[in-house]
Amino acid sequence: MKGTTKLFAAASLAAASIFAQPVLADGGSLTIATSQVPRHLNGAVQSGFATALPSTQIFASLLRYDNDWTPQPYLADSWSFSDDGLSLTVNLNADATFHDGAPVTSKDVAFSLLAIKENHPFKSMFAPVVAVDTPDDKTAVIRMDRAHPALLLALSPALSPILPAHVYDDGQDLKSHPANSAPVGSGPYMLDSFTAGESIVLKKNPNFFIDGRPKLDEIIVRIIKDASSLMITMENGDADMWPYIGGSQQVKRMEGVESLTVTSDGYAGIGPINWLAFNTKGEKTSDVRVRQAIAYAIDRNFITKALHRGTSAPQRGPIIETSPFFDSSIPAYDVDLDKAKALLAEAGYADGMDLAIDYIPAFKEQQQTVAEYLKSQLAKVGINVTLRASPDFPTWAGRINSYDFEATMDIVFNWGDPVIGVHRTYLSSNIVPGVIWSNTQQYENATVDSLLEQAAVEQDLAKRTALYAEFQQIVAQDLPVYWVNSLPFHTAYSDKLENPPVGIWGAMHPMDTIEWAE
Amino acid sequence: MNSTSSPGREAWRMFRRNVPAMAGLFVLIGVIGATLYGQLVYAGNPFEIVWAPHELPGATAEFPFGTDYLGRDLVAGLLKGGAPTLAVGAAAALLTMVIGITIGALAGFYGGWADTLLMRVTEFFQVLPALLFAMVLVTLFSPSLITIAIAIGVVSWPQTARLTRAEFLKIRELEYVRAARSIGASNSRIIWTVILPNAAPPLIVSATLTVGVAILFEAGLSFLGLGDPNVMSWGLMIGANREYILDAWWPVAFPGIAIFLTVLAVSLIGDGLNDAFNPKLRGR
Amino acid sequence: MLRTIFEDLNVSKFLTQRIAYGLLLMVGVVILNFFLIRLAPGDPALVIAGEMGGATEEVLTSIREEYGLDKPILIQLGLYLGNLATGDLGFSFFFNQPVASLIADRIGPTILLVLTAQFLSVAIGVFLGVIAARNPRGVISGFVSVFAAIGYAVPVFWTGIMLIILFAAVFPIFPVEGMSSVKLRDASIFIRTLDIMHHLVLPAFTLAIIYLAQYARLCRASMLEVLASDYVRTAHAKGLTERKVLFKHALRNAALPILTVAGLQFGNLISGALLVETVFNWPGMGRLAFDSILRRDYPTILGVLFFASAMVVVANILTDLSYRWADPRLRGKS
Repeated sequence: MKGTTKLFAAASLAAASIFAQPVLADGGSLTIATSQVPRHLNGAVQSGFATALPSTQIFASLLRYDNDWTPQPYLADSWSFSDDGLSLTVNLNADATFHDGAPVTSKDVAFSLLAIKENHPFKSMFAPVVAVDTPDDKTAVIRMDRAHPALLLALSPALSPILPAHVYDDGQDLKSHPANSAPVGSGPYMLDSFTAGESIVLKKNPNFFIDGRPKLDEIIVRIIKDASSLMITMENGDADMWPYIGGSQQVKRMEGVESLTVTSDGYAGIGPINWLAFNTKGEKTSDVRVRQAIAYAIDRNFITKALHRGTSAPQRGPIIETSPFFDSSIPAYDVDLDKAKALLAEAGYADGMDLAIDYIPAFKEQQQTVAEYLKSQLAKVGINVTLRASPDFPTWAGRINSYDFEATMDIVFNWGDPVIGVHRTYLSSNIVPGVIWSNTQQYENATVDSLLEQAAVEQDLAKRTALYAEFQQIVAQDLPVYWVNSLPFHTAYSDKLENPPVGIWGAMHPMDTIEWAE
Repeated sequence: MNSTSSPGREAWRMFRRNVPAMAGLFVLIGVIGATLYGQLVYAGNPFEIVWAPHELPGATAEFPFGTDYLGRDLVAGLLKGGAPTLAVGAAAALLTMVIGITIGALAGFYGGWADTLLMRVTEFFQVLPALLFAMVLVTLFSPSLITIAIAIGVVSWPQTARLTRAEFLKIRELEYVRAARSIGASNSRIIWTVILPNAAPPLIVSATLTVGVAILFEAGLSFLGLGDPNVMSWGLMIGANREYILDAWWPVAFPGIAIFLTVLAVSLIGDGLNDAFNPKLRGR
Repeated sequence: MLRTIFEDLNVSKFLTQRIAYGLLLMVGVVILNFFLIRLAPGDPALVIAGEMGGATEEVLTSIREEYGLDKPILIQLGLYLGNLATGDLGFSFFFNQPVASLIADRIGPTILLVLTAQFLSVAIGVFLGVIAARNPRGVISGFVSVFAAIGYAVPVFWTGIMLIILFAAVFPIFPVEGMSSVKLRDASIFIRTLDIMHHLVLPAFTLAIIYLAQYARLCRASMLEVLASDYVRTAHAKGLTERKVLFKHALRNAALPILTVAGLQFGNLISGALLVETVFNWPGMGRLAFDSILRRDYPTILGVLFFASAMVVVANILTDLSYRWADPRLRGKS
């Protein structure tokens, strides 16, 4: 029996190796391995990188971004704000067509932006947008009721795909539209096949509106959920790229593969922060001294250097440290156990206290592992930590968004502009029961509220940066959240790939310039 | 040998001569002893981070089995982690056997509508895919040792019931049962003292399988991430260290070997008992 | 042999009854599953919103409306049963697709894996069991017992992990990226079949090993018992050859418990497949179930449980039929 199997395997291997180089045209094929399972492929109604990766290949957007946060023309040839900042005029590319041949018009732009405003979970992206005028087929005017400097970033491929109105505007609810799983866009690649939870096959769009692109003939996204199998697949060369590597061991192992390049570039836009959130209305955690004591007790560098083996970066504040808005002068709370004990004693917990810590049952190395470290570390200052496990995400989310917690590990993304991903967790107006990733800390500070409101409409970059600096100083003092680290996202890709996805949006960006060397 | 010795003593005599079975017994006693009293000899908090992560076994005298991905002592984990795994396995197996034998015996013995009714209940539970259903149960009532044991028991008993019934169906037609009936023995007497002992060999095999299955089941649930994270168990150790298996095999290997040894010991004992209780083998 | 079964008039009546009853059972299972799953704490709208990347109250409300989660649970159950009768398994919360099409994509791989493993385990297990029973004190018997004990005692996911390390990482002989190589999808059917079998080797063996050991143990135990019984002694006395006694009489009588377990094993195989599929990325229903349980994707969980239960029901009916073949004494009864 065993012999037969071996023989068979050998035969199959031999056959496989003979036929492993299928006849491909010049462009070649790129296989992307990922553990991320997309619900569907329409980024207009779904955030997250699982959907954004295929969505940004299939759909084009008005703007795209280079590696240093500068907007570039995409479907929009040019754009300009009015002087009062209340309208943005966009001139569309004359040649752009959807995969079914229909031209991309201002009507599609109007439909898409309003559909995203209505259906996308990031309400702040287009909240100020009141209408989109369509003076002619190739001109769209986005009108707002207040200045909205974050608008340009919200027009990124990952956040604002332009949908064909003639496909999606048929009265069906966009969140569960059948075409979300069989999308038609105007991007560099067209959908060939999609097996939910398994694979996505994308083919070159021969009529792409940018001449000479895309370079590749096809992109295959292979979903492999088990980390070990994914690593083996990469090591054996069965896949060419692996974005969003989230575990230190995976990063280290990929770095050891000779034919691969591993980079942490490509995640500035998403701005993923791992943190310990406090219930600021909790019996013990309402005392800022308790929160500060915990901060002083934690060794952030141990977490990034030892637990994450140097693959994650320390994160001191609410805005990701790679963002131009980050203020590097905010207090870091370097570990100081004596100070922590003194603060606890001051708060009336000289004899120690009990503390329950929750964590998301995913991203283990960021959540459970850090929580387990906290259990061990906080014991040193007399805090007896109980870890409260949740069997699944909804259980955790239900506890947190009903404020049934003392402290919890959490992961929140910045999503480019602070208006999109940062404001939501600090504005007192966003204390909304039942909604996860709102201000579940129940943090209330009138100065912070006013600073954030001013920053949202401030068109002058320097002034806006100053407003955010002041905001960061205050929350770092109040500590509704102890920020731990940025997630150790890395991308591994074959050395032979040219133009790998390392811009601010990483792989959530059209891969029309990627090509094989030789 | 003494021809008047009781069947139990006779079985023990047989069992004692069975080398694998005795080995299993010693291993099991050793495992239970280590989980109960190991802490007295080797103190250490299995949750405490005491060293660098992924220290190789044998590299440091202080941590003979090395450390896990957090730098926690594996020996402490193994000693502390045995009790919950064994307790869940034993409790689940007991629950399984009690429900399964009762229902199977009644159905197989009485036949007719009682059989129909009981077997329909059994089938109802039996068509539920065990691990899936247990996962749903554990998710529903949040993971703890008790919910895990109950979930395993609830999904495992139909198998025992069917086997018991099959044996009863076979045995109740046999001569000695008819003989017992003809001399006026009561039904319960026939069930418990005539048929059940004769149905015992496959049931004992089944019981040992069940203890093993329950332990493996607990490990499987933990592996899928549905264990209780506040209680160190062998399954939890495997689940927690699974991600790092390509770099560090030992944090998964040792608890796996512990589970393997325990299940192996239990099943060797079951085999030995099976042989020992089988009177027809005695002459050989 | 099949012909004799169906010639028996009782059988067709028996079969009709069993199928009708099986359907009834399925309705019961669906209702139980429905209530059980809906008792679970945790709001599916939140999961959907979480997967979308966060939500406001209005998004949550619109999600609840969209998926009918705002209606009373009994009405939801009624709607579900009604749709089920027309073959509509509902719409996956998570995958945003009809559950029927999700399951259609995955049922084939699961059946392939489960049947291959079942075949390997019964064939090898019975073979080993017979050899062991033939000479219960012999070397081969000892080896079989040890092998069976080891195979049985090792956690199935552990075996899988070890096989992956050995045959995919250290010696990259077998692939681990699912059921087929994407790069071969344009190749001929022959090559693709070979490719699938190449992918099937590790998962099928992993799954087979544990049950193989069980069959070997069971076969050995029952054969020993039968071999020691009076009628086998009579057969010996009548001068039948050892081989004939072993295979014709003893094995046939030992077949009853083996069939019992083999029929029941189907449900367990599906459970085992859940773990094996997780380890090997096999694109089957087990993985779909795991994905959907942790996401509270009710329609998908219900659909998977329904299909898994239906497979078990079918296996049960087949088991009962084979009982009647294996034990002639049961034939007169229904």
